[in-house]
Amino acid sequence: MQPFTYLTPGSAEEAVAAYAEAGEGAVFVAGGTNLYDLMKLGIARPSHLIDVTGIEGLDTISTEGEELRFGANAKMSAVAAHDHVAGQYPVLSESLWKAAAPQLRNMATVGANLLQRTRCLYFRNGAGSVSTVGVYPCNKRAPGSGCAAIGGLDRGQAVLGTSEACTAVSPGDWPVALTALDASVEVLGRDGARRIPITEFYRLPGSTPDVEFALAPGEIVTAVTVPRTEAGRRSTYHKLRDRASYAFALASAAVALEMEGETVRRARIALGGVATVPWRASGVEAALAGRRLSRDLALEAARGAFAEARPGRQNGFKIDLGAQTLADALMIAMDRA
Amino acid sequence: MPSAPFPEIARVDARDKVLGRTLYAADVPQTDPLHAMLVPAAITRGRLVSLDPGVAGRVPGVVRVLTSDDFPVPPEPDPDGPPPPPPTLTAQIAYFGQPVALVVAESLEAAIEGAEALAASATYEAEGFVAVLGADSPREEVEPRRVGDAEAALAAAATRIEDLYEIPVQHHNPIELIATSVRLSEGRLIIDEPQQGVDIARFGVAGALQMDPEAITVRSAYIGGAFGQKGFAQRQTAIVARAAILTGRPVKLVTPRGQLFHLTYHRPASRHQVRLGADAGGRLTGLAYDAVQENTPGGAFAAADYHEGAGRLYGIENYSGTAADVFVDRHAPGYMRGTHPYGACFAIESALDELAIASGRDPVEIRLANDTATDPLTGNPLSARHLNACLREGARRFGWERRTAETASMWAEDGSIIGMGVASGIFPAAVAAGEVTLRVSANGTTRLIASGHEMGQGIRTMLANTILQQLDVDPDGIEIVLGDTDASPQFMTAGQWGTTSIVSATADAAARLAAAYAELAGERTPAGNLNVRLARLRRPYLEVKGRQKGPGQDASALEEFRQRGFPLAGPEYPQFTSMSHIAHFAEVHVEPTTRRVRVARMVSIVDCGRVISPRTARSQVYGGVVWAIGHTLGEGSEIDPRFGGVLNDDLADYVVAVNADIGEIDVGFIDEPDPMISDVGAKGLGELTMVGASAAIANAIRHATGRRIRKLPIRVDDLL
Repeated sequence: MQPFTYLTPGSAEEAVAAYAEAGEGAVFVAGGTNLYDLMKLGIARPSHLIDVTGIEGLDTISTEGEELRFGANAKMSAVAAHDHVAGQYPVLSESLWKAAAPQLRNMATVGANLLQRTRCLYFRNGAGSVSTVGVYPCNKRAPGSGCAAIGGLDRGQAVLGTSEACTAVSPGDWPVALTALDASVEVLGRDGARRIPITEFYRLPGSTPDVEFALAPGEIVTAVTVPRTEAGRRSTYHKLRDRASYAFALASAAVALEMEGETVRRARIALGGVATVPWRASGVEAALAGRRLSRDLALEAARGAFAEARPGRQNGFKIDLGAQTLADALMIAMDRA
Repeated sequence: MPSAPFPEIARVDARDKVLGRTLYAADVPQTDPLHAMLVPAAITRGRLVSLDPGVAGRVPGVVRVLTSDDFPVPPEPDPDGPPPPPPTLTAQIAYFGQPVALVVAESLEAAIEGAEALAASATYEAEGFVAVLGADSPREEVEPRRVGDAEAALAAAATRIEDLYEIPVQHHNPIELIATSVRLSEGRLIIDEPQQGVDIARFGVAGALQMDPEAITVRSAYIGGAFGQKGFAQRQTAIVARAAILTGRPVKLVTPRGQLFHLTYHRPASRHQVRLGADAGGRLTGLAYDAVQENTPGGAFAAADYHEGAGRLYGIENYSGTAADVFVDRHAPGYMRGTHPYGACFAIESALDELAIASGRDPVEIRLANDTATDPLTGNPLSARHLNACLREGARRFGWERRTAETASMWAEDGSIIGMGVASGIFPAAVAAGEVTLRVSANGTTRLIASGHEMGQGIRTMLANTILQQLDVDPDGIEIVLGDTDASPQFMTAGQWGTTSIVSATADAAARLAAAYAELAGERTPAGNLNVRLARLRRPYLEVKGRQKGPGQDASALEEFRQRGFPLAGPEYPQFTSMSHIAHFAEVHVEPTTRRVRVARMVSIVDCGRVISPRTARSQVYGGVVWAIGHTLGEGSEIDPRFGGVLNDDLADYVVAVNADIGEIDVGFIDEPDPMISDVGAKGLGELTMVGASAAIANAIRHATGRRIRKLPIRVDDLL
């Protein structure tokens, strides 16, 4: 463990200023459920931790007006249990309930959750920690060192959005649900506040898999906003994993439907567990629009999402599993009135 | 003699455990302790060339760095002598994560920082290696075990099944990590560590550090889960002991979980080729079973033992068993709950299911029809074999008659496909000779000193129940001293012989104590329980020794126990063979679209002779079944053959079952004593609980989906 300073700013502006002042090695921390893990693994080695959880009013959940607004510091468990969210936007609530474990959801925040890093085993092992013993190259962790997952044990790796440099899966559930609902991320930096559509928030790995987010250095996430939509009620987050709880997705689907009788007026769909970023399935949305939804159509359309999939050695099953998961999600969402 | 069923009593140490009062090894208070951290090797095979202790020394709080230079040169191995102790710190690297140094510091944080700095300074000469079971590894066959003519029987069989079944590498993940805490006291080493065999640890440290064993105490009063992981001398023990000697202060090591996946015993990957034949009447006529497993040269986990259980599952007169070790560059494999019969029964019980389907027979009926009273491997009688009673009771409780034989013929209300499967399990019933000391005092206490280790199985509860069944003593005054090399010789508590052995010795002690009291009291009949009566008779205490010998053992076995040897007998006794049996029934629900599998319920009926403590015995079976569900559907240690370490080395990525994975588990016992193995008639239980359960689940999956999965874990990947 290397020593670090620990700062507790009282406002977002102070946090941004503190970051600039601290200089090299400054990192924001909220619930710490991912960052402290990464520090123990030796992947994150911050010199300055700027704890944003003391920022006044940053945990507000607002469901009035034209959009839902979640302060970055709202706990995952608080948003999941919020009456309006659970009742009107099951896709959001379920994506949070199906993540992690109660202890983690009580600590982790919906803003910092967007920045959770991949669970790729080669990424997590190999930063010199004595608690996890491996020594594996990883372009995300050590740019230019290579990718051990390509040609290695790749059962958990992505089949969509991969590059020659990286196949690591984007681990989140909540970001997938937000991607389906066209959410935006509000951020504050030294140059002021801005709003980033969530579909632009995540970067494909390309040749720089270490660059994961469209955040400038020193920018802090202050809120997540979701446009109000009637489709929220006909929505679900369906998650397939290796055990019934406390596991990351092998494949997941966030679905919200606007229906007219049994006909799809508009579908909003994003996939998790199978791609290097939360994966908006626009092609499937188009294929469903205006059509009478049945399981056969759902599966046929869902397979379209994987037309460009590039499986490795052991993760080819994710193509079929991802399509089945999405088709099931569509049927679950349709049955919700 | 206690031949009646035992009553159910509460677990005697449950309250303290729930309240957090129980002291596990790393909890034992030390005065001004130092904290230690191992430095794991970053290559799989080769040599550590250099290490810069200075980089660790510069970390504030680091007190000392130990390297191979700090240990005596091991003596030349003696082929006729006892097995050598585990090595300490060596420059030769035999597996990934092998400890190459120990950093000792004033705080855990400093020890970690020092260890990481030291690890980064290491340079190696790497050599080629083979880290996983494969074709390229050196291979060593063991002596085959053959009865009759399996080849001829198979050639003549009306139905024949031939296939290969695979078990992955699996690591025990008890919540309590590997830990060693050592202090010096008046020239003695006092070692606390979770250990299933404290005397083995003691001799291991003595051997490694070339010390007098008499100057070493090892204690393991409570273990937070062991399951075979903590049964042998562990590598870190002597290393930490040496650190305490060199620093003159208590030193405590708790290994991180990621290290546990590299430097401990584990279930080796294994392959099981099964050829099984039956005649037209459904009678099994021949079994050829070839087992291959990973091992390391000199590894204690013997390949030959796959045939101990497999050859006795059914009355198959023609048996051919071969076994081989394939050597890999990893830490030696060891005993993990269920041990050899776990893999053997997954394979053979799956094959039997295939044979039942191929011959159009009911899977329960074909098992019932192949029972035997004779040990096919020796021709001796099998004592108290109640496998068929397990199968019948299990089928009744499970509602097997509702099962329709066709694939995917049963559906649940939620649209999932129901599959139902059955499998048997078997495990050798061994016993160890031993001696206990029982003292009942007028002050209200009853103290039993015994060989044994409490690792969650409830051995204290069993011993208390044994005492209370024969003696009217104050139940709240019972103290049971276990796992302490100063108090008594300690044989390894493993292989499910612990209860069998020590309960019998305790029952003997209780009978002797009752006799001693009768002699003391004569015609007098004071009121009150035994403690009170002693007070009324003005006798401070009565103390006796109780003894247990296995069938066929003579007084030399007891002497061997006193000399801290390992006087183990069975399952082949001079006149008979004794095994424990279990029948598992599984109902799975398979989602038709994504092929998600849920084990909705299990019924497991056990024949382990007399049940000594119904509550802890049930708990043992629950634990074994839960673990088997994890083993079947999730657990597997993933090793990239290019690197040699375990990749999924934490509880998030090594998929143990969680509560949400577990459905209903119904457990029952036959509770018929085995009169030939001991007066009490108890046989082992702990290992047995998992054996066959994976096959029952795999057979249920076959019933639901038509897919026969011949390897573990079974995942959606295999069923889509």
